Amino acid sequence: MAISAAETEQLREAVRDLLADRCTETDVRRVMATDSGYDPELWKQLADLGLPGLLIATEHGGVGLGAEELEAVSEEIGAALVPSPFLSSSVLTATLIDAAGSEEDKRRLLPGLADGSSIGTVAVTGPAGSWTPEGVAVQANGTLTGTASYVTFGQLADVILVVARTDDGFGVFEVAPAAPGFLRTAAEVFDPTVRLSQFTFADTPARRVGTAGWEAVQKALDLSTVALAGEQAGGARKIFEKTVEYLNTRVQFGRAIGSFQAMKHLAADRLLDVESATSAARHAAADGGPGAIALAGFACAEAYETVALSAIQMHGGIGFTWEHPAHLYLRRARSGAQLFGNSRLHRERYLVSKGA
Amino acid sequence: MTSADQLREEVRAWLAAEWTGLAPAPDRWSTTPERIAWLEKVVAAGYAVPTWPVEWFGRAWPAELADVIAAEFESAGAPGARQDKYSIPANTVLAFGTEKLKHDLLRDVLTERSRTCLFYSEPGAGSDLAAVRTTAVRDGDRWIVNGQKVWTSGAKTADYALLIARTDWDVPKHKGLSYFVVPMHQPGVDIRPLVQITGESHFNEVFLTDVEILADYLVGDEGKGWRVLQTALAYERSIMGDGARASRHGSIADDLVALARERGRLADPVIRDNLATVLALRELNALNNARAKAAAEQGTSSSVMSLGKLAMSGILHAEARLRTDIAGPETLLAGDANPVADDVNFLALNAFFTSIGGGTDQIQRTIIAERVLGLPKEPEIDRDLPFRAVRRS
Ligand SMILES: Cc1cc2nc3c(=O)[nH]c(=O)nc-3n(C[C@H](O)[C@H](O)[C@H](O)COP(=O)(O)OP(=O)(O)OC[C@H]3O[C@@H](n4cnc5c(N)ncnc54)[C@H](O)[C@@H]3O)c2cc1C
Repeated sequence: MAISAAETEQLREAVRDLLADRCTETDVRRVMATDSGYDPELWKQLADLGLPGLLIATEHGGVGLGAEELEAVSEEIGAALVPSPFLSSSVLTATLIDAAGSEEDKRRLLPGLADGSSIGTVAVTGPAGSWTPEGVAVQANGTLTGTASYVTFGQLADVILVVARTDDGFGVFEVAPAAPGFLRTAAEVFDPTVRLSQFTFADTPARRVGTAGWEAVQKALDLSTVALAGEQAGGARKIFEKTVEYLNTRVQFGRAIGSFQAMKHLAADRLLDVESATSAARHAAADGGPGAIALAGFACAEAYETVALSAIQMHGGIGFTWEHPAHLYLRRARSGAQLFGNSRLHRERYLVSKGA
Repeated sequence: MTSADQLREEVRAWLAAEWTGLAPAPDRWSTTPERIAWLEKVVAAGYAVPTWPVEWFGRAWPAELADVIAAEFESAGAPGARQDKYSIPANTVLAFGTEKLKHDLLRDVLTERSRTCLFYSEPGAGSDLAAVRTTAVRDGDRWIVNGQKVWTSGAKTADYALLIARTDWDVPKHKGLSYFVVPMHQPGVDIRPLVQITGESHFNEVFLTDVEILADYLVGDEGKGWRVLQTALAYERSIMGDGARASRHGSIADDLVALARERGRLADPVIRDNLATVLALRELNALNNARAKAAAEQGTSSSVMSLGKLAMSGILHAEARLRTDIAGPETLLAGDANPVADDVNFLALNAFFTSIGGGTDQIQRTIIAERVLGLPKEPEIDRDLPFRAVRRS
């Protein structure tokens, strides 16, 4: 389903208003310090807006919207640095079930994800962290054995999907949270707003979800890349706005520092980065092709990181403190630049899409 | 009103009947009789300036409809449509000129029967354009001009120049300027070619001695030239974001992937990385422009609009570096016997056309920071001094 641009804008504003109220910097810092890394209250409120079910079909209890609405909402989520399993559960897991699962799987799993009562994750890559077929380090042979790394919000999940090597290529498997031989360990993360786990499987019983192979995984990763790109564009815009505000208020040598050209010129260049990231993310959502997604995959990640780095430089000493939010954006930028495939991978895919 | 589909049909049919192609002009500064004849037809059909009023060759159409024309012309490879979007002199004269000036100039400019150049920069006034010292003094129904301009592109082939000159030395610098159209073919206009870093010579220094201008050729009011100039410069900057001149020999393709493949460099990881960077810069600029255009059509302003020229400077310099990487040591060579190297080297040097010409990247960044981001203005120590008292280099 697609809704009008005006309706998308309404949805975006509803999310923005909620986050302005319920996901302030203080909230982010409070949630960062918790074990779970998310705010169940906020999650419920996001569910009331339909966010966890955004991509899930109405027949399975979702809202049934598409990539463009997802991208718009993601810009707001990224701007507010929302610590939540949205990307992991509502995008990656929901899309994978939709792409790989049987009707029965969908009927059983999607409604819980849609109303936010269950939280999903997908274990894809091994220690290589490449999110490519080569990176998969779990073997399926009746049961699962091996390791999956960088599993987003893995500790939280009760719907657990694992991508594993099979005799016929790759398969998607569902593992029960209490399955024997399944161990999940929370990793210590650089960006406390995005939690990661390591999963190990030792002869762990698992149920194959549908018969789909890597294409289904790629589809879910692609949509996740679109959402992540939206988060990156939104995060870049937000920290850039905060920086421009600071340039207007901080006074040195009797002048606002924004009156110095060194600052103006950095700011003009970063504006180009922010706008280009926004264009790339929106285009990826509208186009959906591999070239557009690959472009967003590296352009948004790189722009966000550059904008966040400049923001710290432009804030001077205060930017180097834990207290100032600039580093939270840089952390999020740096984590996003590795998740679901790094710039190198996306650049290569982009070139291939251009016939190179 | 005509619908977009009807118009598309109309333009397509018209092009099918009229357009048979043109031999290219020797360069962008000159034109040919065939080209003029073609442009006459485009003007007569109302396609040259479709958004303009009907009495001035237009059809008073909204931009979306006019874009349909541009798209059809572009796919046919035919020039001349949508000059309401890219002709600096035509738009400036339409917006600010007297009836007589519009009458004398517009048609000839749109058909390239008359060519124009820009008398803006001076030895002491480049980035600081408001510092021009070329002076115009009123004498009855004429103005008499004396001074020197520099870096004037296309002066040798121009019939008119758009001139910014000082008409009052006793007020602060922005207030004493006026904007004129100067006929080039008259005594006292002395054009001396300057050789560019590319070895070409399309720009010049121009000495003006007792040059005469009709009072009707004052554009906008006396002393209000800065405002006219700002509008004209905004046009220029928006056009310069759209693209740039291609190679000298046409021996290297715009298709960078094909170039890398042809030269056996496509597997080199460093080349691949640069290639992805450059292709992405190009595509991002196109996507930004599309967003700016969509915003303009919805009547909202977008900060993206002002970014095109700065983006283009970056793209052209990055492309030049990549092409140099691909061609390798061959770029040590030059001349007609080495057309690929010659093109690559040409493009590397010519990239400055965009990053200096029409305002440098540094000035452009300052403009974006102040006008788009709202950062505090540069302190201007000479802003309120009478121009006579201002320090000069
Ligand atoms: C190919 C080409 C074609 C041109 N065609 C024309 C033409 O047809 N007609 C015409 O009138 N002019 C033309 N120009 C002139 C062009 O507009 C000027 O060269 C340009 O505006 C810069 O002025 P300048 O050369 O005097 O450099 P300057 O203003 O002296 O600048 C020198 C350096 O100082 C920097 N600088 C200057 N002021 C500032 C500031 N306030 N803040 C930060 N940095 C600053 C500049 O960025 C530059 O790096 C052309 C130039 C080129 C290169």
